[in-house]
Amino acid sequence: MTDVTLAVVLPLLGAFLLPLTAHRGLHWLGMLLGPALLALAALLLFATWTAFESPYAIALGGFAPPLGITFYVDLLGLLFALAVPLTSLLLWPGGSDEAAIRQQSLTLLLAAALTGMALSGDLFNLYVFYELAAVASYGLAASSATGPAFVAAFRFLLISALGSVVTLLGIALIYFKTGTLNLAHLATLSERLADPQGLAAFAMLLIGFGVKAELFPVNAWVPEVYAATGKRVAALLAGLASKLAVLAVVRILLLVFPHDEARQLLLLLGTLGVLSGELAAWQARDVTRMLAWSSIGQLGVVLVAFSLPGKAGLIAGVTVAMHHLVVKSALFLLADRWGGAVDRLKGAATASPLGAALFVLFALSLLGLPPLPGFWSKYLVLSGLAEAGSGMQHLALGVILLGTVIEGGYLLRIITRLYAAPERDIVPPAHRFPNLFASGLLALLLVAGAILIDPLWQGLNTLAASATDTQVYVQTVLGGKGITR
Amino acid sequence: MRNIATLLLLGGLSFLLLVITGGLLFGNPPMLIGQGIQQAAPTEVGAANIVTAVVLGYRGLDTLGELSILFAAATAGGLVLGSTRGRSGRPGGFILRTGVDLLFPLMLVAGLYVVMHGHLTPGGGFQGGVILAAAFFLPLLARPQESLDHTWLSVIEALAGSAFIALGLAALFEGRAFLTPLFDHGVLGALVSSGSLPLLYLAVGLKVGAELASLLVRLSADDEGAS
Repeated sequence: MTDVTLAVVLPLLGAFLLPLTAHRGLHWLGMLLGPALLALAALLLFATWTAFESPYAIALGGFAPPLGITFYVDLLGLLFALAVPLTSLLLWPGGSDEAAIRQQSLTLLLAAALTGMALSGDLFNLYVFYELAAVASYGLAASSATGPAFVAAFRFLLISALGSVVTLLGIALIYFKTGTLNLAHLATLSERLADPQGLAAFAMLLIGFGVKAELFPVNAWVPEVYAATGKRVAALLAGLASKLAVLAVVRILLLVFPHDEARQLLLLLGTLGVLSGELAAWQARDVTRMLAWSSIGQLGVVLVAFSLPGKAGLIAGVTVAMHHLVVKSALFLLADRWGGAVDRLKGAATASPLGAALFVLFALSLLGLPPLPGFWSKYLVLSGLAEAGSGMQHLALGVILLGTVIEGGYLLRIITRLYAAPERDIVPPAHRFPNLFASGLLALLLVAGAILIDPLWQGLNTLAASATDTQVYVQTVLGGKGITR
Repeated sequence: MRNIATLLLLGGLSFLLLVITGGLLFGNPPMLIGQGIQQAAPTEVGAANIVTAVVLGYRGLDTLGELSILFAAATAGGLVLGSTRGRSGRPGGFILRTGVDLLFPLMLVAGLYVVMHGHLTPGGGFQGGVILAAAFFLPLLARPQESLDHTWLSVIEALAGSAFIALGLAALFEGRAFLTPLFDHGVLGALVSSGSLPLLYLAVGLKVGAELASLLVRLSADDEGAS
């Protein structure tokens, strides 16, 4: 029984059942339930990944597409889906009191929703999972139960609600013009959307999904929320949730809007994101805010990469996205006890030498120092931009290079503070073991990525070849072969 | 200054939306999916109410998603409001108490009716669940010192949600896709028809009812605690 729907359904089931364990004598079950289900989901997805031969679709409820909802299973979807339970497991909030159980429920709901977003082949279903992820994120953003966290979560809620309404309008516009919601069916009708109204619909979807993808005009919530909540939640939102929102945009771009205008719009907003994010990070005086703004800049690079046409763009995008997932999650974990001004970090390396060393490793990879994977990811984006050759792309190339220089400036500012002599013997607190352990695992992953560069490249090529082929998608879903009912 | 900027943004946004909708051809939009479902639903699902055939059949996963969204919102609300405090307040007058006593059984029946007939007539689990929640909340307005048992509410909520998923998983274990309707369609329009759809709606109704009731109780308790 390796049906990938279980990877979405099991965490949901766990979230529904978890509140029951708040009652006497069941604490041990509550502690085990979430991690066990996430591990099961990860195993299931991994088994599907290893046994993968060709893309296939699942007709949920047994209703043939395009009438029913479909899940589409290909390497791109599986890669992002697999990242969800693994990252949630790594960033699992422990504890067994009432508030902790609620937070775990929300984490499971977030994991289920994000896995669903990776697999869904239906525009409205994508929106439902996105909405579930958004509501779970509000709860998680407020979970540290401090005044600033409530304010930040409320602002997040308002911006995100605006995004949801805009997305819904965009979906309504698409449905009005085409009469269908299935992505494969929409792919066959995409010329109906090749007009200004179609572009407007894409812009609406982009703005809506962009709220979680930290897209340029709708990312004002980012620094506030990440600064006010627990750093595990920040890592989950910045590292994981943003990537799945990007994946949704990419699927829509590839299948429904294969027009140049849509790519240009993505490129423009991505470039503005890089510029605004890096400049704001340079201004920031506090480590978490700096990382938050820097994450906006990094996601700008991801969007720029995905705006490149063809296989090269998809490979570059996936590489940058996965690299950012690993690095930004780890950096947030390491910044857990380093809240407050950057200057207060003096001497942190003496208190926590391993933590500081890991921070330096991740920062260097983020900057793009060879032979770390960050270098390859940035290289792919830059060479793609240089080859694509129009004015906009060259401008984006320049902005990314400028962004890297600024990034180097502020990351080195943190690193020099870490290794400076402590002032008046006030040393920042050492890292807690679980965070150090989790970021150590991520560091191993990063180093493994640097060593296994060749097989990774091969894998990415096959992944991108099938993901960019719209015909394969349409044939698999609507052609009737490859459907399991 | 900020207000003017907001006003400008809203003005620009509504202008854009007007231009977009102005360019749309109203009258006969393409109805590819709509017509397909209208033709296929009576034989494929067997629910007299086609809306239910869509909500629980064709788009059953979306309904599970909506159910989870409501659950996520209630959980987040619980996280923000904290654990429940005791309720206080004077009992309501004679008219309120008698009225509530009279209304309670009627609302219970109405709620269950709307839930159970969701596959035949307009209504269903979400609508019926809200009526059920109101039915259990009304007595608390009349007698504020009493309270609903939270343990029971959370047990109903958890089991009803799991029942929805279990019905979906049952199809999976029979070798069909998740959430495939089980059992025979039966006679179109009969109370026992359209396979497992009524069971799904019962699960939705109980979950929504329990969730909303506990949220209402929590909100009212906090209100009085503050004043």
